[in-house]
Amino acid sequence: MVRLLLRFGEEIVDQPIVSEIILELKVPINIITALVNSKGGEVLAEVPQEAMDKVVAALRKRGATVSLPKLIEVETEKCISCGSCVSLCPVEAITLDNELSVVFSKEKCVGSTCSACVDACPVKAIKSVKQNNHELINSRLKGVTGKKR
Amino acid sequence: MGELKLKPQKNARTIEEINAKIRKGDAQVLTAEEMKKLVESSGVEVAFKEVDVVTTGTFGAMCSSGAIINIGHSDPPIKIDRAFMNDVPICHPGAAVDLYIGATAMSETQPYEYGGGHLIEDLVNGKEVELRAAAYGTDCYPRNSLKTNLTKDDLNQFYLLNFRNCYQHYNCAVNSRDETIYTYMGKLLPKMRNATYSGAGELNPLMNDPDYETIGIGTRIFLGGAQGYVIGEGTQHEAKSQNGTLMVRGNAKKMSSEFLRGASFTRYGTTLYVGLGIPIPILNLGLAKKAAIRDEEIFTNVVDYGVPRRDRPKLAKVSYKELKSGAITVGDKKIKVSSLSSLKTARKVAGTLKSWVENGEFYLTAPVERLPLDNVFKPMKQTESTPFVVNVMQTAVTCRETEEVRAIAERIVTKSVNHIVVVDSLGKLTGIVTSWDVTRAMAEGKTKLADIMTRRVVTTKPNEPLETASKKMAQHSISALPVINDEGKVLGIVTSEDVSKLLGM
Repeated sequence: MVRLLLRFGEEIVDQPIVSEIILELKVPINIITALVNSKGGEVLAEVPQEAMDKVVAALRKRGATVSLPKLIEVETEKCISCGSCVSLCPVEAITLDNELSVVFSKEKCVGSTCSACVDACPVKAIKSVKQNNHELINSRLKGVTGKKR
Repeated sequence: MGELKLKPQKNARTIEEINAKIRKGDAQVLTAEEMKKLVESSGVEVAFKEVDVVTTGTFGAMCSSGAIINIGHSDPPIKIDRAFMNDVPICHPGAAVDLYIGATAMSETQPYEYGGGHLIEDLVNGKEVELRAAAYGTDCYPRNSLKTNLTKDDLNQFYLLNFRNCYQHYNCAVNSRDETIYTYMGKLLPKMRNATYSGAGELNPLMNDPDYETIGIGTRIFLGGAQGYVIGEGTQHEAKSQNGTLMVRGNAKKMSSEFLRGASFTRYGTTLYVGLGIPIPILNLGLAKKAAIRDEEIFTNVVDYGVPRRDRPKLAKVSYKELKSGAITVGDKKIKVSSLSSLKTARKVAGTLKSWVENGEFYLTAPVERLPLDNVFKPMKQTESTPFVVNVMQTAVTCRETEEVRAIAERIVTKSVNHIVVVDSLGKLTGIVTSWDVTRAMAEGKTKLADIMTRRVVTTKPNEPLETASKKMAQHSISALPVINDEGKVLGIVTSEDVSKLLGM
């Protein structure tokens, strides 16, 4: 599966775009997080690797912006392994190992749409980098090698 | 704890004997964690016979920390009145060029991001920092202002001087409110969805010598990666409730940022993480027993930081074993808990101290004076009372959800209020409606209250400080808060007008 960050502007946010695409392409799309209101929406979704191109094309046809989600970035050399972030993570992407070091799992992290841990780090070792809409172009998408799970 | 209250036994080992062994490289040193394992496997008698020193450690945010520096005299000289280093305001409590960097002082240009703790870390790392100072000028110190760049090598003295460190144990924090709060105990999610705690538990220095037999004034310790000293009990020290603290000093020029880190807690401010370790000489069997204490024997209270009062409600008692397991239970609720202090670095402190003693780089000292055991940590004497919600709240004008908008409009006029609180048959809060909502409903031709009322209501409680209630109203851009009890029953209402009258805001 590949993770995609979908953004819907104010003018299309009331349309059932993801549902339409699921029905039309018969592709399972797994919504991981969603922040939607009348002003627009930001959805983190997983799509099968092989169906990615046509899903992206269908989303764009309907006016959505598609980009690769930037996950949370952890500067390990700054981290003091206090663990303040551990209890805030809703998906257990942050844990303590046997050595009591804080371990961050990129696979489990739902990325910048959550960011619950970011403002809890006392040494500012965690960053959520929101990607600009224009950052993703077709050529970049083609190079994606999503982690198989 | 009964058996730990034994009278100090006749010492079977002396500090001089231990130091002689250290000199020869023969001293038997264990970290506190190793000691506990040995006692469990071989018994306390064996551990007592075999072990000379147990090393302890902790690494946590310690706000009552700072550094005293002397920067030398300028020409012409200045008697500093106001000073900033990297835009952090610096205290000038003494003579012309003696300054104190407080860990919690925040940069005026980057508040909440950079503060005294970061400044101390930068100096420790050899970085250059900018000093700006101003003065009123005297006959002997004529200069009015000054700007210069300094590193730690330019300072005559650079001593960490912390007036409260090494809390023996600390609260576990939760938040019962409906909103996330940011505290000195970190980020606390609403409705007790997470918990935080601080402290190293069985690794904490004071937990391993709870009767202060070996830790006193003059005890040589590990401080920030260098050798330092205990110079007294810390402020708020209360040994009998296991809330002991230490005042410490150490040469910051020799410290390392691995054990001294500036930090910032979102919406709280800046602080300093301090690594502190103490070697406990196992002078007698009693000390061996005490140094065997386990996390399951150390308890702390789960405290509701959602209540902004001095005496916050205590919701449960948990052991450090539970805390370190990652989850605690409060009532029938399982809550994920995380540590604010670093247990990994606490271990490293104990381990480093152990190697220092083994390698003959660190000798033990006997205290020149014991620390007080019977101190009481008193609350503040207040000569002025502060207002709480209960002091200004008024009777709420209420209505039921089934009423017509027209009836509400009439009530607003006859009672001359702007807010009507919606309640159910038990008097419990279900919503709120304002004169503005009613005006709009009239304009739009809506007639049912249920269609226009606000259901997600920001509320307050009678014992909430009025300042907190006032902040809530400002934060949510609203002008009144229903006052409810723990069951959600409406007790009254507090409006911004009432608050302004009292607080003059």
